[in-house]
Order: sequence, then C-alpha cells, then structure tokens
Amino acid sequence: MNPFVRFLARRIAFLITTFIVFLLVIFALPRAIPGNPLATLLAQIFQQFQANPDLVRTVEKKLMEEFGFGKPLHIQFYEFVGRLFRGDLGMSVAFYPRKVADLVFVYLPWSLGLLIPATLVSWVIGNLLGALAAYKRKKAVDNALLPVFLTLSQTPYYWLAMILLYIFAVSFRIFPLSGAYSTLRMPSLTLSFILDMLYHYILPFFSIVLGAIGGWAIGMRSMVIYELGADYVSYSDSLGLPDGKVLRYVFKNSMLPQVTGLALNLGTVLGGALITELVFSYPGTGYLVFRALSTLDYPMIQGTFILLISTLLLANFIVDLVYAYIDPRIRTGYVGE
Amino acid sequence: MVVPPILKDLFRIKKLDVSLGVIVGLLLISIFGSILYRVNPLAISGPPEQPPSKDFPLGTDSWGRDLLALLLAGIRNSLYIGVTAALISLSIGVITGVISGFKGGVTDSSLMLITDVVLVSPSILIMMLVAAYLKERNPIFVSLIIGVTSWPWVARAMRSQIMSLKSRDFMYMSRMAGLSDMKIIIEDLLPNMASYTFMAFVLLMSGGMIAEAGLSMIGLGVTKGLSLGIILYWAQILESVRRGMWWWFGPPGACLVALAASLLLMSTALDEYFSPRLKGG
Amino acid sequence: MSILALLEAKGVKAYYSVRRGYVQAVDNVDLVINKGTTLGLAGESGCGKSTLVNTLMMNVKPPLHLIEGTIILDSKVISDMGMSILKKNIWGVIVSLVPQSALNALMPTKSIEGFVRDVIGHHMSVSDSEIMSMAKKRFEELNLPVEALSMYPHELSGGMKQRSVIAISTLLNPKLLIVDEPTSALDVSTQKQVLRMLIDLRKTGITESMVFVTHDIAVLKQIADRITIMYAGKIVESAPTDNMLYDPKHPYTYSLINAVVTPEPEVRKRGLTSIPGEPPNLLDPPKGCRFHPRCLKAMDICKSIEPNLLERWGNHLVACHLFPSNS
Repeated sequence: MNPFVRFLARRIAFLITTFIVFLLVIFALPRAIPGNPLATLLAQIFQQFQANPDLVRTVEKKLMEEFGFGKPLHIQFYEFVGRLFRGDLGMSVAFYPRKVADLVFVYLPWSLGLLIPATLVSWVIGNLLGALAAYKRKKAVDNALLPVFLTLSQTPYYWLAMILLYIFAVSFRIFPLSGAYSTLRMPSLTLSFILDMLYHYILPFFSIVLGAIGGWAIGMRSMVIYELGADYVSYSDSLGLPDGKVLRYVFKNSMLPQVTGLALNLGTVLGGALITELVFSYPGTGYLVFRALSTLDYPMIQGTFILLISTLLLANFIVDLVYAYIDPRIRTGYVGE
Repeated sequence: MVVPPILKDLFRIKKLDVSLGVIVGLLLISIFGSILYRVNPLAISGPPEQPPSKDFPLGTDSWGRDLLALLLAGIRNSLYIGVTAALISLSIGVITGVISGFKGGVTDSSLMLITDVVLVSPSILIMMLVAAYLKERNPIFVSLIIGVTSWPWVARAMRSQIMSLKSRDFMYMSRMAGLSDMKIIIEDLLPNMASYTFMAFVLLMSGGMIAEAGLSMIGLGVTKGLSLGIILYWAQILESVRRGMWWWFGPPGACLVALAASLLLMSTALDEYFSPRLKGG
Repeated sequence: MSILALLEAKGVKAYYSVRRGYVQAVDNVDLVINKGTTLGLAGESGCGKSTLVNTLMMNVKPPLHLIEGTIILDSKVISDMGMSILKKNIWGVIVSLVPQSALNALMPTKSIEGFVRDVIGHHMSVSDSEIMSMAKKRFEELNLPVEALSMYPHELSGGMKQRSVIAISTLLNPKLLIVDEPTSALDVSTQKQVLRMLIDLRKTGITESMVFVTHDIAVLKQIADRITIMYAGKIVESAPTDNMLYDPKHPYTYSLINAVVTPEPEVRKRGLTSIPGEPPNLLDPPKGCRFHPRCLKAMDICKSIEPNLLERWGNHLVACHLFPSNS
C-alpha cells in the first residue's frame, strides 16, 4: 500500500477510536454520576414551565424517552448511537421545543467564521515573527520581542478580549460593544450588512489572534534556532548559497513540527475562543455552551459537545492531510523515530 | 547552612531571579497582605462599584466587596489549585511515561494509544463536560479534573527521556549486575530526570492556573469558591467591562498573566541551564 | 608566491573567543599546497586540523576569528575578502568543503537534484536542463547511480549520502577540494567506496588538488602525496608520504606512526590516538614546545623556546629542537 495512504489510514483509525471513546464518555457521564443529575434537571423544568403542567409532562416524557432510563444499558447506547447517525441530537430543554441540531447549526458558523481565520492568521504571523526573532538573536529585535511573546502566550484570549473591549469599545468608542452585527439588522447578503459584520468582527478576531501569536512565535523561534545549528545549514553556506536561500531551507524544515503543533493546539484554541465569544456576546457556539451549562440543558450539552468534538477531529484530520503532503518523508514511507 | 553549588549557579541566572521574584513576591503579598489588610473578601465592605480610592485601593465590585481583599485571596487559591493540578498531572504523566518507556513493547504501544487519545481530546471541553455534571465542585475535584486532562505531553516527554537513557552505558551496567527493574528505575533513571520533572511541574502549574480560570469563567469553577478566575467570572457576568469598571477585571487578569508568564520564564531559564549540560554529559 | 602553489597560508592565527579568553586553535601556521597534489592533514582530535582547513577557505565565523595571517588561494588574497564575495566567487567555485558529518549535510526535505539546482543555479546562469545534465554526467563519472538524484536524503544509505555530498561539492569544478574526516563515521566497506571515489577524483582529473583531514593512516597511505602533522594548533612535521611514514623525525610523529604499525587490528583501528597523556589546553598552552610535557626526548630548551618549522632534507619540514637549522 502506498505509504501516504497507509499514514492517513492510520490517522483515520485513530481519530475514529477517539470519537468512539468520546461517545462512550458522553453516554456514561449522566448515567454514572451519583445523585441523579436528571432529577435536578427535571426540577428545573418544572420551575421553568410551571404555568403549563401539560408541557412539563411532555418534556419529562421526551427526556425519559431520549435518555432511555429504565431500559437496559446496551439498548440505551444502541438507541443513542442510532439517533446520532440519523442526525438527531435531541431536543433542547432551555430552548424547548427547538432541536439541538438545528440550534447548533445556526450558531456554529459564527464560531467557525471567527476560529478558522483567527487560528490561521495567528499561526502564520506567529511563525514568521518567531523565525525573525531567531534569525536576529542577540540583537535588540529578539531581546525586545521575546518577553512580549512570552507574556502574550500566557494571556487568556478572554482576558485580552476584556482589555481590548474596554480600551477600544468603551473608552474610545471605536468599535461596537457586542454581537456579531447590529441588533437592529437582520442577516442578509448585502454589502452594508457584510461591512457591519466585519466591523463587529474585528475585536473578537484580534483577541484570539493576539492571544495565540505568542505561543507560535516562541515555538518557531526555538525550532529555527535549533535548525540554524544543523549541519546542512553550514554545508549549504560553505557552498556559497546566499543567506536568504539557506533561511528558506531552515524555515521549511522548522514548519513541519509547527504543522503538527497546530493539530495539537486546536483543542486549546477552541476552548479559549468559546469563552471569548461570551465576553463579546458573540452569537457563536460559546453562547450555546454557556446557556446549556448554566441551565443544565443536558440534551444541549451532549449535542454541542458531540458536534464540537467531531469538528475538532475533522480539523485534526485536515491538518494531518496537509502534513502528509508537505513532508517528503511520509510520501516515501520513512518510518523514522 | 551550606548551599548546594547547583542552587548557587541557578540563582545567578537573571531570568530565574526575575520569575522567582514575581511568583514568590505575589505569593508573599497574598499571604501577608491578607494578614495586614484584614478585610473579609466576601463581606460587603462598602458602596458598590467604587473606583480605586484611599479607602478601597482596588475599588469595590457590584456587591460592594473590597476587590483588593478578593484579589489577595484569589491569588492564593489560584496558586493552590495550580499546584495541586500540577502534582496530579505530573504523577500520572511521569508514571505512564516511565513505565511506557522502560517496558517497551505492547505495554508501550497501549499506554501511548491511551496517551494519544487524551492528547487529541480538547481538555477544556472534557473539563466542562465533567464539571457540568457535578453539582458540588470542591478545589480538590477541580484540580483533579484539570490534572487528569493535562498529563499526555508529560508522559510523552518522560518516555523519550527514558528511552534515550535506556541505551546509555550505566544502564547496561545495572542490568548486567542483575538489579531489579524497580531498583534500576529508582536509582539510575529518576535522578537523571529530576531536572526535567521539575520543569514539567512548573509548566503544568502555569497551565493548571489558566485552565482553572477558564473553567471558572463559564461558571464551572469551585462552587462557592474564590479564585482569580472566579473574580473574572463575576466581572464578566455583571458586565464590568461594558460599564467601565477596569479595576474589577484588570488586576485579577494581570496577576494571572504575571504568575503564568513568570512560571513559563522560569521553565525556559531552567531548560537553558540544564540542556547544554545534558548534551555534554 | 611560487607558481606551483595553489594555496599559500602565512602566519595564520585563528582563535576561538570564549568568555575566559582565546582558544588558540590554530597558532602561527604556514602551509603551502601545490597544484596537483593531495595533502593529508593528520593529528589527534582537538589539535586544530578542522579549524585549519576551514580557515584555509576563510570559512571563519564567530566565535572563530582570524587574528593574523594571510591566505592566498589561486593568486587571490582571500583573507581580505568579504563574506559576500567569498560566497559568490570562491566557495563552491574555487574551493569546496566536504564537511565532517556529511551524513547530515543534506537537507531532509529537499531532493538531491533540488539542492543541486540551487547550488549550481546560484553560481552559474544556465538552464535547468543543463544543470541536470551536468549533475548526471558527474554522477556517472564517479560511479554513482543517476537515480539517486531524484531521491530524498533519507532514501539513501549512509555511504551513498557521503559520496553524493562529495560529488555535489565537485560540481562546479573547484580547484581545491577540502575533505574533513571522510571516513570516520563509516563502516569499513563504505570507507573503501569513499576512498575509491577520492582516488578517482584525482585520477580523472576532476579535482586537481585536495586536502583532507583524517586520523586514519590507511587513508593517508592510499591517497596522500604529502602528509602534514598538527599538534596543539601547530604544524610539527610535513613531508612527502613515504618519507613521513617510513622516516618520521618529530618525536610525536614517530610515536604515532610506530604505535600504529603493528599487526594488532585493534591498535590499527585506533589510529593516531595512542600516545599516553593528554593534549594541552589551548586556552593556555604550555610555554616553549607544546609537546614537551609528553615528549620522551624533551630537553631543557624545549620548555622555554618554541621550535620553528624548518625545512631540512629537501621538502621534509620539522619543528623540533632535535633538528635545529643547518648552521
């Protein structure tokens, strides 16, 4: 089998295994925690729909049905997985009677629209800055940048968000205070809406980018410093190749582990971004998760998590694909360390 | 008291001095500060939403609680959870990594598979999930949740260290002498990894504090607890940002960043100090 | 400068600057390499031979500094040239260095031909197809499989990598090829292949002159026309190969060579490293002759006055008070 395909097949098998483990965990948790969390939920539903006892009973019934309490465990799991593959993530309690799947698909695009560009931009710029700092070590540039990167890398996106919001939206009133678009508008594909959207997009975007840049810069800087000491650098240099060319070699070699690092970091970025959405009242999955957690809307919690995990694993796979393509050693089946 | 030469050497490193200074400084401030500044953080001390003033050096929050008192208590608790979570992570990671690296074979492959699954999993989401299902969350429990999701990189790092040490001469000697596996691990391997373990601990502590803050920000921190993250949570819920109360969300976040950044700086300094040695020795 | 000389180094001092001072790696060295000859540079590890050959092509970067001395290569005073000129006109074109660990000298993410394109393309403006035909021709001349060109370094064996690196270094037909420890990291059969390649380079005339660094006597015997021995940053003896191997004059050379010319295989494998004692610390070398602490024939004068490198018996030079100048 083509080594390229073999590598990808191994990765797919691994990601699917992880997904299954997750399903098991999500399935087991509400059923394993002592002190029947469902009871709390039911009490809450009772409170929420007090005025309408029929509604309470319907919701209760639906929940019992969905969670399948009373039926043997393996049947519960079977039904759970079955419903999952039909795209049925259950019905939200807090947003009754809307279905979880529908809700998630409304809010998810906003999150992705923020996450994907911000991650890519911070990764690219962070790596470039890191390489620059490494190339110019022991000079003023590196010494000045390093502590900045260090501090930024440890700054939570959401706190950065608070600071940016305070400075630019509250104090200087340059940017809007909340939301993804003005509350008075309805989403449409007009230019003015798009501009309005971008206007609301800037602060959340920069919170994530600035928060993530530091980490990439530091990582890349270490990689480049290490690679600059490699034998191929001195050899290429001794054959007269100009600095620019040799640097390109170093950059290419240092990028590879950074691509792997991107895959590993996706989970962290996701978490941070979700909380950042809260600060901006940005209508993304963060809002959904927060609502679900604070109202103990278990179907919603379950549903959003399954979807977020799936997105994450898919993103991991895409990164693996890119890596397999750019590292010639994979293409030729190098089974290294 | 005779100071071991290694400590003398370490204290000469500027980065280390700065970072230790910040951490120890903040810790001492929070401990002695609470003694000197005898204000109950959770009591209503004055009028709500006051900016910093003579009476209230860091102002008050929406309930009228003294923010300086809150900050001091918060620093202590955040550090506590950071340390606890780090210890838990470190234990799991070191044990897994050492066994995996030392035994090799099937044990290694299966342990590494588990490690990889946990590694790929987004720890924040898992923590949120577990925390959500628990009504009462005490500090130990929160530390446990954080600890159980942050160990994979430690395990992998320990494993590679062990594997490279395994092939060195002194290991061969011990094997020839017929020492049991346990003895070899304790007497030969662990001392060589002491420096690395300490660095891992520092990094885990930094990560643990930030993770706790993240959990607290969405309301899943220690129930009825008080930490830097929880102060930020209240600040967020009560719209302190949009209402311009910078004294509420500014200082706790700044302290968190200062602590985490210093820990990272410390770990970098230690790495620079120990690595060239490792390569030469 | 004599017409025969390709490279002439005079009074070269190359030191490494460290916190506590200067490591005198190459101290006041005079060296001449004549056209069409192969010079073998030998000595214990740490004697400064690698530093010397790098300095000979002015591959001098901090913390290494050329403190004093002139180096004339192909009638050009390269010790005065700036880095960019060296890189454009000298390195790769007139002199090439094959590094010590050639196994790692190739970038893992570039194919051999990709690297070749960059090297040739930088120095010559020729079309891509010409570059490839040059590369193919050279590989064929040196008995290397042409398929290797399209492969990546990790697909090649250690010996193939080493030989490819040597071949690449000769692509621009430099007049002088410097080879740093061509055989130390290789197993015996690969060593043979590499040696054969170096011999072929001479025979086919692809490379006119060569300097190689080694501590392997077998290699010296097979390809060197002339041997120069270094000790603690100084040249102690220099002579044509046969003279050196059968009639070494300097006590150091004498013990080295005789220590190795024994039938025991382990001793032969150890090469030129089997003398009791340790080489001196070059941060603070001993006064007088640097070898005197380990020399069995040391005299009083050796402890205070440094012996000069003098030409005796034709082109056999030695720096030792046992052989003072013909007065």
